[in-house]
Amino acid sequence: MSSHAGTIDHHHDPSTSTGIPNKKLLMWTFLASDCMFFGALISTHLIYRLHPPAGGLDPKVIFSPELTSFSTFILLMSSLMMALAVTAIQKGNVKSCRWSLLTTIFFGMIFLGCQVYEFDHFVHDKKMTLANSLLGTTFYTLTGTHGCHVAIGVLWLGLMYVRSFKVAGDTGWFGQQLMHVVTLLVALLGSLKVTLGLVHALQVEPTYGAAIGAFFGHEFIYIALTLLAYGLLAFYFARPRGHVQFNEVNAIDVESMGLYWHFVDIVWIVIFTAVYLLEYL
Amino acid sequence: MQKPSLTLRAFGDIAHQTFSFPNDHMPTLPKTLARCSRAALALAGLLLLTGCEKLNFWRMDGHQSTIVVDGPVAREQLNLFIITCWVSLVIFVLVGAVLAYATFKFRARSEDDEHAEPPPQGHGNPFVELGLIAASVLALVFIAIPTLKGIWNTYDVPEAERKDAYEVTATGFQWWFKFEYKNAAGKETETASLDAQGGKAPLITANELVIPAGRAIRIHLRTFDVIHSFWVPKLGGKVDMIPNRANIIYLKADKPGYFWGQCAEYCGDSHAVMRFRVVALDKKEFAEWLDQQAQTGRTVAAAASTPAAPNAQFAALRTFRENETGTTAAFDKSPLEAWRAKQNPEPGEDAALIAKGREVFAAKNCGTCHAVRGHGAGGVTAPDLTHFGSRTTLAGGLLENNDVQLRRWIHNPLAVKPGNKMHFGVGAMPGYVKKNTEGPGYSRNITLTSDDEVALVAYLQSLK
Amino acid sequence: MDATVKPAHLTHEEHAPAQPGLLSHPTAKTGLMGWLTTVDHKKIGFLYGFFALIFFLVGGFEALLIRTQLMVPNNDFMTAQMYNTMFTMHGTTMIFLAVMPLSAAFFNFIMPLQIGARDVAFPRLNAFSLWTFVAGAIILNLGWVGPIFGIEGQNAPDAGWYGYSPLTSKTFSPGHSVDYWIMGLQLLGVASIAASLNFIVTIINMRAPGMTMMRLPVFTWMTLFTAFLIVLSFPFITIALVEVMMDRNFGTSFFEVSGGGMPILWQHLFWVFGHPEVYILILPAMGIISEILPTFSRKPLFGYPIVVFSGASIGFLGFAVWSHHMFTTGMGTVATAAFALATMAIAVPTGVKIFNWIGTLWGGHLMMRTPMMFALGFVWMFMIGGFSGIMHSAAPADAQQNDSYFVIAHFHYVLIGGSIFALLAGIHYWFPLMFGRKVSEFWGKLSFWVIFIGFNVTFFPMHFLGLNGMPRRTFTYDPNLGWDTANFIATMGSYVLGLGMTIYFVVLAYTFYKGEKVKKDYWDGRTLEWSLDNPPPEYNFKVIPTVHDRDAWWYEKHHKEEIAKEQAEHAKAEDEHGGIHMPFGSIWPFVASFGLLIMAVGVTFFAAKTTPGIGPKLALSLIGGVVTFVGIYFWSLEGNEGYHLHLDKDGKVIEDDQHKAKH
Repeated sequence: MSSHAGTIDHHHDPSTSTGIPNKKLLMWTFLASDCMFFGALISTHLIYRLHPPAGGLDPKVIFSPELTSFSTFILLMSSLMMALAVTAIQKGNVKSCRWSLLTTIFFGMIFLGCQVYEFDHFVHDKKMTLANSLLGTTFYTLTGTHGCHVAIGVLWLGLMYVRSFKVAGDTGWFGQQLMHVVTLLVALLGSLKVTLGLVHALQVEPTYGAAIGAFFGHEFIYIALTLLAYGLLAFYFARPRGHVQFNEVNAIDVESMGLYWHFVDIVWIVIFTAVYLLEYL
Repeated sequence: MQKPSLTLRAFGDIAHQTFSFPNDHMPTLPKTLARCSRAALALAGLLLLTGCEKLNFWRMDGHQSTIVVDGPVAREQLNLFIITCWVSLVIFVLVGAVLAYATFKFRARSEDDEHAEPPPQGHGNPFVELGLIAASVLALVFIAIPTLKGIWNTYDVPEAERKDAYEVTATGFQWWFKFEYKNAAGKETETASLDAQGGKAPLITANELVIPAGRAIRIHLRTFDVIHSFWVPKLGGKVDMIPNRANIIYLKADKPGYFWGQCAEYCGDSHAVMRFRVVALDKKEFAEWLDQQAQTGRTVAAAASTPAAPNAQFAALRTFRENETGTTAAFDKSPLEAWRAKQNPEPGEDAALIAKGREVFAAKNCGTCHAVRGHGAGGVTAPDLTHFGSRTTLAGGLLENNDVQLRRWIHNPLAVKPGNKMHFGVGAMPGYVKKNTEGPGYSRNITLTSDDEVALVAYLQSLK
Repeated sequence: MDATVKPAHLTHEEHAPAQPGLLSHPTAKTGLMGWLTTVDHKKIGFLYGFFALIFFLVGGFEALLIRTQLMVPNNDFMTAQMYNTMFTMHGTTMIFLAVMPLSAAFFNFIMPLQIGARDVAFPRLNAFSLWTFVAGAIILNLGWVGPIFGIEGQNAPDAGWYGYSPLTSKTFSPGHSVDYWIMGLQLLGVASIAASLNFIVTIINMRAPGMTMMRLPVFTWMTLFTAFLIVLSFPFITIALVEVMMDRNFGTSFFEVSGGGMPILWQHLFWVFGHPEVYILILPAMGIISEILPTFSRKPLFGYPIVVFSGASIGFLGFAVWSHHMFTTGMGTVATAAFALATMAIAVPTGVKIFNWIGTLWGGHLMMRTPMMFALGFVWMFMIGGFSGIMHSAAPADAQQNDSYFVIAHFHYVLIGGSIFALLAGIHYWFPLMFGRKVSEFWGKLSFWVIFIGFNVTFFPMHFLGLNGMPRRTFTYDPNLGWDTANFIATMGSYVLGLGMTIYFVVLAYTFYKGEKVKKDYWDGRTLEWSLDNPPPEYNFKVIPTVHDRDAWWYEKHHKEEIAKEQAEHAKAEDEHGGIHMPFGSIWPFVASFGLLIMAVGVTFFAAKTTPGIGPKLALSLIGGVVTFVGIYFWSLEGNEGYHLHLDKDGKVIEDDQHKAKH
């Protein structure tokens, strides 16, 4: 991808036979393959839905469609933000791209948080585990695989966000970046842990006051660590260090990642329909 | 000898021509090849002449033949196979002839020829190509129509015979078959006497399925461990026994006979020796057999027996090589007669020995796995032995049921059937050995003395 | 291979700043580091072929042991369990470790040359595929440690190559044998999918100017179809294997009857992968034959568009016939009929290929050299295998043939007489190009005839055995069933076949070191790879060719002046754009694969009942995951950097300092 003069045509790459950039074609082909992965898992789930074992669990008793609808909506919104990130970088607007990436990551984390909460709720309150029922077997495997896809997507988005700070010709950049990645991970996982802790406290304690108190008591270290990570992200790593080596040329990288993210989103719509909504028809 | 040598020479000449273009490296190649092919052909001829008796495998008329068959299902499948054979053969000969002709006709005759001006660079002929596609579709129609017919004819008992069909449930286990019979109408489970007090139990046998000849049989196929497949080649193709799936197979024997069957889906260590037999009887004989099987296990009264001298064959335990055959040629001559002979008590039964055998059977807890109705043994995880003595085979159709083979089996089942459950036990129930509670491995659970074995053999053979 | 590297001629003009420490680019072109860090598609192809041939010999040895056991009835040459291990490993090895990687070797080595590319689209992904394949092969064969060193209760996989559930469950396979099989296949799946994605992008996007899709050599077309089949079918076995793994280690009930699972589901998932897999094995072979027959007939392939479209329809229909492996599972009449008809339909495009091959011979000038002998042998043997395939499509007849030796005969005719013959033909055909040496005609033909005769003597009698009721996967049989003679003949034939293979490979090894050197374009070829010197230089094409006709090189040979003028212009244009771009080598794909190996070892031993508990294994898996992550991370940091080579006035590739300033 050598730098050509003038604007870059993001829809045609003259170095390839078809004009489609190699990375984009690779991603499309991979997604075709990924369709089959989910196809196999969704078929497994639907087949056992049609042939449930005697005395199996009733999904209607277990599912909470309100929460899942909410997380589905959030994931859809994250796709919107992803699209904005792609447009921004295609125009060379690095700052806007970074904000859109961060929002996408944020929404992705909300989705993951909902899923962690949902799994925890199903296992402890609704008594559905991976091993105790066929519904649990297919449900956790299918949604868990999707969750892994989202988690990998979030990681990838995070790495891309960090990458956008690469300064041209900076040899010490590598160590900097590693720390940046680690801080970002601490911030994300810390937020997840703290939020779930808050939700748990609110559910367990009788009054808000007691809940908040218990929350700060239990989660003090995590809250501090998370705040510290956010502080570092905002005031240390995000500081400009020179001419950043991240521009229109990298649009294809962001776009490929976007394809992946949209795909994961679409697959969730299918899963949401086939696993949750189907039970309420 | 005159004629073959002519053929040989002709073949050699052809070979000579085929491979005889001079090449940088191979002036002697054509000669060598021609010589080799002559030698090979001569050898083949010699084999054919001297070993005619042995080289009979193309007749395909063994006990498990799918070509020489004894039932309408197998016959329909065979006829379809023959149709596919003919269609294939005709196409093969036509295409092969063109291919062979093209190879001979257009080959380069010499090295110079190889480097001659290239032939016209034609790219194909759409009419020829489309014509050939149409022709192949047509040829396939010849196979497709009887195939569709066959699928519907062989899948289940035909509508007309359905009312009269006899129903049996066959269950596959690692590595034997259990058969559960329906009553005379063929619909309800047949019951058999359980004890003297009039208790009832289902009629169950193992490894030998006895069926009425000339009557459609519908066998319900079940399994609770791994996948097996129920295959009696002379009566029909196989259908798999799959856990959590209710399969059926439709079979019918033309006339009374004795048929070999075998598990056809790989099911673990002893898959190769998971075999069974099907015995087809006429209506009357079948009814008699059913009556006999409904009785409790036979007890030999001391008075009724005339103990002869101790059976000579028990004097010494024969040792067997691993996998040594457990069948005899004499049995194969008239297997159905051999089966009939087994239905009657053995001559020279020793009541005392049999009684001792029954004690050993109880003392060694054989009854936790095996059932002998009326003798207080009610196990369900191993073959039902109530009428064991009336069967022609043992160890899952592997060995011929006689004193020598039975003793071989109970002496060391592991040497006959690798991994078998009589040795290792099933689940929590121990067999000859039991799982160590601490640490890996097994320790001995059942030990049989030589006398125990002899007594057990006598007892089991008395169960007619 | 080392001869391809001419360091003196390279200009190390790096167009990226030097990276410190960990990120410096490996420059070794020879020695162990040269191989581990190579991203050259030809070297990777060579390594694929090298490993594949080793495993081919291992699988062949297993086959000979199997035949020895069956030579006479009631043989006690090996135990039942060892026999079961042998046929499982024979099948798995031959399919996943021999035929597929050998095809991949040709894909790697030949396909980029055929489309006029300097490398595949993602050279490092290609290296990753190779090393992941090696990792998978190691895991799959790890089980041999048990029997070889006599470790109690440890065994190599023994549940059959299609591992029908519930035989693979913890209850019926308590040791680790099935775990090796699962994790081995998982890694091989990752390797195959990654490689295929790469091939697809390469073929679609890296074609030389003028190389339209309908000018692609047929071998390249078949590579494309195969890659699509792999990409679309492997996910099914991956998921199925994940489900078995979860059943074994985490108590799920996908195939556990006690929890309501249905073992039949495994068969569907497996064969949705398994049937396309059959075409994954045979389509490359068909591609090779479609290259050899025109070259040695000295005329173009007959009906090129129909051959291409028949390949496409085989690939497409290949997804619609999986249940013909399950005709005996009681699917019901309608499903059986549908799959029977679909199976018959697939015979049409297959037959079309044979017609077109014969059409290619017709009116040609046949050079009866060793590759041509193997290719003609292929056509004959594949026809026989095809016809017994049609017999299987008649479902009621198949009820007798399924799982019998008739099936064994059928698929060995297709896979040895088909795939292996074609691959052996391909080795002879491209050997002069790959190594600049040629195999002796005499020894080549001798090996062909011994293999051909041995193969037929081994497998033709198996048709009779199957029809006479001998089921497959049986370690012993009784003498009263009429199977002795055919089994004995088959065993003798297998020894002849083994002898033939020995001759073939000994001659090949001799030729590799000592064979006669030959000039460029030894066979008077038709496709672009023959336009290169042998062995081809690292950068493949001095000047990216422009394609004017389907048989591009044939056209060039017959339009020399036009081409020379054109190439001079292109050379100039390319030099102005910075010269020949060469990617740097990289160790990170190897590191990523190595991480996968560690991770797979951890997962394999997850559920060991004995000491130690799950903790250390989980830690091992996590370490592996981190290593893989680090490998991929550094790999991504490298970016698409490289160096440039330039042509001098005589058309030689040389070091040329004046260009250094340009970037």
